Amino acid sequence: MEFLSSTALYNILRGPLVWIAFIVFIGGSIYRVKSFINLVKEDKTILPFISLKATLRSLLHWLVPFASRRWRLKPVFTIMTFLFHICLVFTPIFLLSHNILWYESWGITWWTLPENTADIMTLIVIFTSIFFFLRRIFAKEVKFVTFSSDYIILAISFLPFLSGFLAYHQWLLPHKAMLNLHILFGEIMLIAIPFTRLFHMIYFFLTRSFMGSQFALWHSKEW
Amino acid sequence: MAVKEAVKKKIVSREFPEYIRDPNPDIGLDETIKRLTPEKIEKAIKAVLGGRSARIKAVLDTCIHCGLCAEACQWYLSNDKDPTYAPVAKMRMTIWEMIKREGKVDAEFIKQCARIVFTECNICHRCSMYCPYGLDITFMIGMVRRICFLLGVIPQRQMDQDQAHIVSLNQVWYSPNDWLDTNQWQEEEIGAGFKDLRIPIDKEGVEAMWLPLGAEPKTGIYHIERTAKIMYAAGVDWTVPGKDVWDSSNMPMFVRDFETMQRIVRGLYENAARLRVKKMVLTE
Repeated sequence: MEFLSSTALYNILRGPLVWIAFIVFIGGSIYRVKSFINLVKEDKTILPFISLKATLRSLLHWLVPFASRRWRLKPVFTIMTFLFHICLVFTPIFLLSHNILWYESWGITWWTLPENTADIMTLIVIFTSIFFFLRRIFAKEVKFVTFSSDYIILAISFLPFLSGFLAYHQWLLPHKAMLNLHILFGEIMLIAIPFTRLFHMIYFFLTRSFMGSQFALWHSKEW
Repeated sequence: MAVKEAVKKKIVSREFPEYIRDPNPDIGLDETIKRLTPEKIEKAIKAVLGGRSARIKAVLDTCIHCGLCAEACQWYLSNDKDPTYAPVAKMRMTIWEMIKREGKVDAEFIKQCARIVFTECNICHRCSMYCPYGLDITFMIGMVRRICFLLGVIPQRQMDQDQAHIVSLNQVWYSPNDWLDTNQWQEEEIGAGFKDLRIPIDKEGVEAMWLPLGAEPKTGIYHIERTAKIMYAAGVDWTVPGKDVWDSSNMPMFVRDFETMQRIVRGLYENAARLRVKKMVLTE
């Protein structure tokens, strides 16, 4: 607890580990996309059929809630997953506290969320994560294909938000300790992205492009 | 008098206890696995999965195990939402397991895979339509079919149909003479009621070349009659090919016999090129 609350730990987390986390995240992601596309090029029957128009049509269709039949068939899940992802992505980017850190380091600043809104968005991430967790246990078709890796990646995305919320409200642990934990969890998440199935956030656009182009080729509509 | 009903002994998978089925004997699976050795199996799997092509990698690395594909699959929906029929479950029980064990699986496992991919999936692509990522699950199923084909473990009926294509380039063991005879016979029969109704054979430079399914000349002869009448009434300049390949049903495709599949497709296009037709019209 002494060490967890210490400024020494804070300095490491706030200093070199930030560099490492972002370099691994950005560099690792670029490397993974490039090597995937190289693999795609080896399979000569994929790239010639990719169509930009079909890709955009497909992305638009699937990024709008209830546009595709799939989303309409499962309204609760659709709402949960859209809320989860929107709040997961935009809260860290537009949070005031994060913005202050960027200003401290690089002198840059941008629009931020009102604190109450950010609070609610964080709670949304927490509750929808719990929904996903319960789904893995109680939905039979999901349980059959759930492994430890699924729980781990869920925890990796959940913990930065839980710890951030607790740190902001100064609950549970002494503030400095909670804050250090929050930074640590956030960095773990960034580092984990290029190495796990969390990378689906990038792959989504590539696989969607492929299947969208296939549907266009078959003159079939986007379902 | 009490009637004793024979209780069918269920088959339960060794690896996946939730997978419970009625026995379904098929010599294409039961007998052929006796010829398999662990080395043959591993060799076939490694040959097909190779360097983990982009398609396999895309599915393995992106599938978030959400199970949304389940509701797309008619097998899942019509079997009381049994989770072992879900597309992602089918992948888990076949190709994911093969990859996890690096091809070191036994003959019983291959038989189970064959049962799943040949008789519990019909590669309709509905799952890809419902998957939020648009993952090509049917491709993975097709890979497993290819592995089973290379090992010779295929339901008997499907193998028989593949054999027909290998030997006669059509589904129904027709010789080239049978095909010509059938067309000429039909032309005689129906032509009697019409003025100048023809079933042209090998006519060049036409608008359309009709390519039936194998079953049509053999067991559904009225299809030829009706097609001829439609073309006549519509005034279409058409023909049928006089030599192989005339059968557009590609049964080798279903068992992933790529070599024969190519022979069929090439034969169809070669006929089209030879006769310089504008369109190829397929029954199905």
